[in-house]
Amino acid sequence: MNEPTLAGAERRYPHETGAKPVISVRGLRVRYGDREVLDGVDLDIYRGETMVILGASGCGKSTLLRHLEGLEKPEAGSICIHGTDIVTASRKEMERVRRLLGVSFQSAAMFNSMTVGDNVALPLREHTDLAESTIRLITRMKLQQVGLSGVENLYPTELSGGMRKRASLARALAMDPEILLFDEPSAGLDPIIAAGIDRLILRLKDAFKMTLIVVTHELQSAFLIADRMCMLDQAKILAVGTVKQILANPHPRIQQFVQRIADDAAPGSQSYVTGFE
Amino acid sequence: MAFLDSVGRYSIQQVEYVGLLAIQFWHASRLLLRINPFSGKRLRWRRAIAQMAEIGVRALPVVCLISGATGLILALQSGAELRKFGAMEVVINLVGTTMTRELGPLVAALVVIGRSGSAISAEVATMVVTDEIDALRTMAIDPIDFVLVPKSAAMLVMLPSLTVLAVFSGILAGGMFTYFTLDMTIAMYLRRTAEILLMRDIVSGLVKAVVFGTIIVHVGCLEGFLVTGGPEGVGRSTTSAVVKSIFLVVLADLICTGFFYFFWR
Repeated sequence: MNEPTLAGAERRYPHETGAKPVISVRGLRVRYGDREVLDGVDLDIYRGETMVILGASGCGKSTLLRHLEGLEKPEAGSICIHGTDIVTASRKEMERVRRLLGVSFQSAAMFNSMTVGDNVALPLREHTDLAESTIRLITRMKLQQVGLSGVENLYPTELSGGMRKRASLARALAMDPEILLFDEPSAGLDPIIAAGIDRLILRLKDAFKMTLIVVTHELQSAFLIADRMCMLDQAKILAVGTVKQILANPHPRIQQFVQRIADDAAPGSQSYVTGFE
Repeated sequence: MAFLDSVGRYSIQQVEYVGLLAIQFWHASRLLLRINPFSGKRLRWRRAIAQMAEIGVRALPVVCLISGATGLILALQSGAELRKFGAMEVVINLVGTTMTRELGPLVAALVVIGRSGSAISAEVATMVVTDEIDALRTMAIDPIDFVLVPKSAAMLVMLPSLTVLAVFSGILAGGMFTYFTLDMTIAMYLRRTAEILLMRDIVSGLVKAVVFGTIIVHVGCLEGFLVTGGPEGVGRSTTSAVVKSIFLVVLADLICTGFFYFFWR
């Protein structure tokens, strides 16, 4: 079994270096009403790796991401980011952790009342004392990094879906985050633009050595960008491993997912079609 | 039992709502002190100025028109009764004090609820629905600080200002009435009004304006933050912001009036 290689040498994944994880989730339990959304999730994410969280719709992957972003508090469990447990963190500590995070939302979540340039500049204006000219320069640079130039003075509604996604990425990058969280980077985009976003993610990973956490259900894109993957199903983590390990995992749900087999066609399931045969 | 159950549930909901309003108010009030043009953040101040134009300046024509009409109606209605007693000059007292203490602040507040209270809740609710509020939080920007505080500052400046102008246009409209019925020049009418008005009247009107403004901006924002569901939720939160604001403004009006009646004679 050959692992993907880099410049001929055996590639060492970040999780194999023995370093301490940047993010470590332990026993995370989330419940909405009486529905268990996450049931005892444990996950370690290491510096510089791209972790793809994979799973069917409604399996709790977006919920997991929202908890990593500190937008919601779980019922039980801990989420340590750089040694700070964000579940119990004070307001101040939380603010410090959040400056390490860049978040790109599924819906892009651009502020529609501001121009794209102001959107990207917002975190800089809020958190730094940089001069306005410097902020403009950084803004232009960040937009260039995501392949958008000359859109500073447009409003988000004047951009296409793919451009909005890129712009929101530029905003997430504005404060030079260490960890970038991505919710469904290619949702609602056509395959060509989605492929462009994937390439962009790979470029960012190489250029900035960032830790990336990507939630997606797009298999192709997941296999392309992932160092490791984590497969969520029915509120639990089924498996964590490299792309090869996930592909080779014999668990029926994982095989069903990676081979794109519908529920009623999966072996062992009661198919409603059989009634007609 | 079902009746008791629903009454209890409803009461708890209302208490919870008031509690949320109080928390929001406390949190925003501390942040509000940081927004001043001298030491505060430029961005907040700029947003506050933009809000002032939106809340105040653009509401000015409507406020003056409605307030003027109210002043004239008040003069006509009271004139019709007072004529019977040959006490037409009391109209001046009535219009002057009622506009200053009561109708000026109320008319300004009602217009601002219709224009800005609804707009505030729609804006905030849309921001919640489109994840913009979450985006602010992940950028370590406090949504209350970013969204509510500039609006609150703008409201605290603009509603009292609008109230002053509403009072003035109402009184002026009353002057039109006395000009035609009592053969009194506007200058004379204004002088008489100035003699009648006490500091108490003016202060109570302005205190009301400040209280109303706080209610409008906080209810509008809270309704926006509490939005549930998608776009149709935005509509619901807007309606509920307007209804709740009107109710709370009238209630606060009653409390303020009672307070001034008993404690500052």
